[in-house]
Amino acid sequence: MVDSPRNSVNKKINLRINGEWHEYEIGRDLEPCTTLSAFLRERLGFTGLKVSCDEGACGACTIILDGKAILSCMMLAVEADGKDVLTIEGLAKDDPVIEAFAEQSEPGHGTALQCGYCTPGFVMSVRALLNENPDPTLDEVKEALSGNLCRCGCYAGIVMAVRHASEKIAQRARQE
Amino acid sequence: MTIPYKPRMKRQFVGGYQPRIDADEKAHGRAPYADDMISDRNYPGLLHAVVLRCPYPRARIIRMDVSKARALPGVKAVLTYEDPEVLRMKPTNAGWTDAVDTVSYEGMMWRKFRDRRVLGDYATWAGDEVGVAIAAISQQIAEQALKLVDVDWEVLPFELDPLKALKPGAPVIHPETASTNVLPPDPVGGPDVFLVKGDIEKGFAEADVVLEMDTKHHNPTQGSLDPWCCMATWEGDQLTIISNSYATDQTRMHVSQMLEIPIHKVRVVSKYVGGQFGRGDTGDQPFFIFTALLAKIAGQPVKFKHSRRDSFHDTRQPAQYHCKVGAKADGTITALHFKSIGDIGAHADHSVFALKFAPAEISEAALAPIPNIKMESYAVYTDHIPGCMMRGVGNSQFNFIFGRMIDGLAEKLGKDPIALSIQNFGHEWGSCPDASLKAVLETGAQRIGWTEKRHQPGTGPLYEGFKRRGVGFSVHPGWHAEWQEERRGQVQVKITLNPDCTVTLDAPTVETGTGSNTCNVLGCAEALGFLGIQPKDIAWVAAIDTDRGMRDCVQTDSAVSFLQSEVMIVAAQELKKKLLDTAASFLQLKTDDLEIVKGRIVGAGKEISVKELLMKGDLVPISVMISRHPASQRTGVPYIASFAEVEVDTSTGRTQVV
Repeated sequence: MVDSPRNSVNKKINLRINGEWHEYEIGRDLEPCTTLSAFLRERLGFTGLKVSCDEGACGACTIILDGKAILSCMMLAVEADGKDVLTIEGLAKDDPVIEAFAEQSEPGHGTALQCGYCTPGFVMSVRALLNENPDPTLDEVKEALSGNLCRCGCYAGIVMAVRHASEKIAQRARQE
Repeated sequence: MTIPYKPRMKRQFVGGYQPRIDADEKAHGRAPYADDMISDRNYPGLLHAVVLRCPYPRARIIRMDVSKARALPGVKAVLTYEDPEVLRMKPTNAGWTDAVDTVSYEGMMWRKFRDRRVLGDYATWAGDEVGVAIAAISQQIAEQALKLVDVDWEVLPFELDPLKALKPGAPVIHPETASTNVLPPDPVGGPDVFLVKGDIEKGFAEADVVLEMDTKHHNPTQGSLDPWCCMATWEGDQLTIISNSYATDQTRMHVSQMLEIPIHKVRVVSKYVGGQFGRGDTGDQPFFIFTALLAKIAGQPVKFKHSRRDSFHDTRQPAQYHCKVGAKADGTITALHFKSIGDIGAHADHSVFALKFAPAEISEAALAPIPNIKMESYAVYTDHIPGCMMRGVGNSQFNFIFGRMIDGLAEKLGKDPIALSIQNFGHEWGSCPDASLKAVLETGAQRIGWTEKRHQPGTGPLYEGFKRRGVGFSVHPGWHAEWQEERRGQVQVKITLNPDCTVTLDAPTVETGTGSNTCNVLGCAEALGFLGIQPKDIAWVAAIDTDRGMRDCVQTDSAVSFLQSEVMIVAAQELKKKLLDTAASFLQLKTDDLEIVKGRIVGAGKEISVKELLMKGDLVPISVMISRHPASQRTGVPYIASFAEVEVDTSTGRTQVV
């Protein structure tokens, strides 16, 4: 239990980030009050996640922690000790969710992104959803994405991108 | 029902459905935004700035003691309202820094309403940035230092109700710009009664029915996800600002003139922006200035970033409208009177644009057949948050009353509101009925099943025993045609043909999500069709940097794609001429004997590919930069209609779009 910077000197945490374990020292690499989002962005340079509201309301900072989509602004970095962190930088270049978001453009639904600021958060929420449920219903998609805001209003395109990502996953599974 | 867009003219690249050119990097989380670029990691020694915000609706600073803040370890710079560089600074207006075209201090649009001071001592809403800005080695220390600033406030009487602020004797909020709380007439917005056509009293006398109604808009916030931020850094007397402002050239002019440093000593860079939606129209642009001054004092780069709360400091103008309409029994509108009262809040900024300019333009673009019109507006200071543009200049507010007027009149006359709209509306440069208006309304009606679903209020069927449904529409002129953008002045585009026949496109505009970058690349590929290249062969320059020597076209009015595309067509033709001259010289032929077809130069029995030609030469890229005014030909405007069916749960009031 870390209760103050003074007591935390020499305490270390271990994070597995995008497949590799790292050790960080409290007091040197981070403070006990450093949020996981700030640590990942400012200290480690994982700027794919965004800090937009910094209070758990927008979903732009979503990452995957031990397989679950979480809001990294609502967690202290020290709380992630011993856990598996996946940021968007850790997804494969040909990740089906990323591809589906990038390719989305069709009549009546539009694109899955405009300004793109919310996109990494959406991608990570969808990635976590499809890991558990590769063929979700529309209601399940809406529920899984209810914590992510897109101010440009691309929700119709995002829903289609999720469907296309789901199809890509099924197609790749058939090919394997 | 989804019906794909069908272009009127078949083209190679333009007129279809394609992913955005930035979609891949955005979907990977690799597109760089200002907040990603300006980090402690990228700029060791980066300082973080905060500014004092007044906790009272109206107050003046009597005395301030910053000694404790200054003494806090980690604080590197403190700037207050008493410092000489702040005291001598000119008053300003956010409508200047947010202009669509670069304008000087003297030429700013709302030069009669310069009611903002950078770090002044007088606050007119609970959130106004005043008094002191501090830079420290971390955001936490800067915030802690701000709490150590000792301020004596003179708390003043305030007014939040525009109707009370209008009354004689109400305490005047900005005596330096307005002797009452109503903004005086100005050259852009005109007088209080800013539009008079015909004689409305005569029109109402001729009417068989006269109807009056009111609407009151609220203060929604733009709420971009990407909080405004900037970093200022000095190298000697050279200032560089990186920000997510959507107007780099205007920001450079603003900073240069406010700090009184030459333009060539200021460089402003913006890259991707996470949404704009009009947030700069009433915003806190003074932060560019105090951040630059703090960086100068500290001798280190300084970052200022809005918190989420700060990001809600801009709103849409909450205009209250009153409308009186008169019409004949056959539906012909004989007179229209609109009166609006705008709660402009604590600062004038662009508010007159929403209250007077936009309705006047909409009148030209939609109300031309109506013989008698009067429009009046009162922009009233209060001690509220300022309000101006958000996704439309003043369109939503006007559409609200306009739609109510159409529905109310249709109900009173027992007419179909679609027929009533086609009968009465059109633009100054066309005839009535207008073909575009008729097409959008009739197509929309057909798609939603208007005839079957439309019914008089209260007469429709009940669903599940307690739900009712209704269909409705709104109609609006798309009033940003090319000629309506003349006030922007020249639009600049530069096309560079590289020796390997790839292209670098400087169509400078900060990408806020609108997709004009994609439109421009497709348009450029189309205009350079003679080169036989694909959109992937064109690199759009995403970093908008004033040091590239071009003015950026600011992302407003949904106009950038077509304004820049028109210039690209001219630039492409110039490029073709230059390329032919180069080829003629190389092949020792006359330019007139040569033609370029799909990337090959042919003529007089000779043939060479463009790439081969350029790679054999001196490898100097061929560049063409064109500056061109938007075309002035009055082409009229198209119309937009939106239809919806809604269901209301009459037991709870819950309303859903069906």
